[in-house]
Amino acid sequence: MNTSSAIESREIGNRIVVGGIAAIVVILAVAAVLLFINLPDANAFNARVEWLFVNNDDLTSNAEIKLLEILAGSGTAFSDTLSSYRFVIFVLLVFSAALLVAAVAFLVMLIALTRRMGQIERKGIEVNSLMISRDQKSVYLNNFEFKLTSAAMETLSVLAEARMDDEVLSGAEIEGVISGRNSVDCDEAAGATRIKRLRDTLGNQMVSELLVKNIARKGYMLAIDKDVIRMV
Amino acid sequence: MKRLLLSMIIGVVASSAQAACYADYKAKQDAPLRLHYGVAELRDECSVSAAKAELPERLAVENWQLLNVLGTFDDAGLDDRKESAGEYFLRY
Repeated sequence: MNTSSAIESREIGNRIVVGGIAAIVVILAVAAVLLFINLPDANAFNARVEWLFVNNDDLTSNAEIKLLEILAGSGTAFSDTLSSYRFVIFVLLVFSAALLVAAVAFLVMLIALTRRMGQIERKGIEVNSLMISRDQKSVYLNNFEFKLTSAAMETLSVLAEARMDDEVLSGAEIEGVISGRNSVDCDEAAGATRIKRLRDTLGNQMVSELLVKNIARKGYMLAIDKDVIRMV
Repeated sequence: MKRLLLSMIIGVVASSAQAACYADYKAKQDAPLRLHYGVAELRDECSVSAAKAELPERLAVENWQLLNVLGTFDDAGLDDRKESAGEYFLRY
């Protein structure tokens, strides 16, 4: 019940994010369209001068007509600057759209990251990297180094290889791979013993690293923050 | 003398058959905007509507666009408008 509601809320969140970004783009697109519609077009001045010329019957002398033409020319020059302004405004709109979208996306990423961090903190050990060093007979889980016996090393290597191929191995198969015999001839219990030994050595070291620390010649101590301890 | 009389008669007949008719109009060119006021002789009928029908294609030869026709007149009104029309006096 808890899990399904969490998944649901995440889906709703994703939909809200997509919707929000789409809304930003739509709003800015509408703004751009309105901008282009509402700015006077380059011909507005010419049309105005032409209207003056047509509607005043006594504007017939050569000098008056020349003046009208000059008026229209200066208007056209001004409308050129207007159109360059319009372009600048449009570029700024595109920039602001990109920035807003990026801001929303980053906000969402931030929220997701904090959520994930919380989960990781609660979950305890999450293995981010597993590095097996055969010649040093050690395995690195995240940044912790654990020493293993060569037998445990073999078992871990076999398991890691199987994991990379997305395979599940039975005890007999593990024993078969390590001993080099056919797995049909192998005992299930032998493999189980190998697993138990691996768990024992690894688990022991892990707990000593993460929880019960041994400080040399002094004694033992819990390797956790004292604030997190609570008695029920 | 006889020849002079004949030519006078012919002249009278010609002028009465086709009284000269003119229209003054306003026209423009786009990009860049240019305007002119001109006078043109009407060849068919002597009316504003006839001028509106007749003038556009004559003006279009040099990409002028007829805006409006102010009125029509005969020889008597020609001189008044000659100065205003300038180079567009009876040009098209």
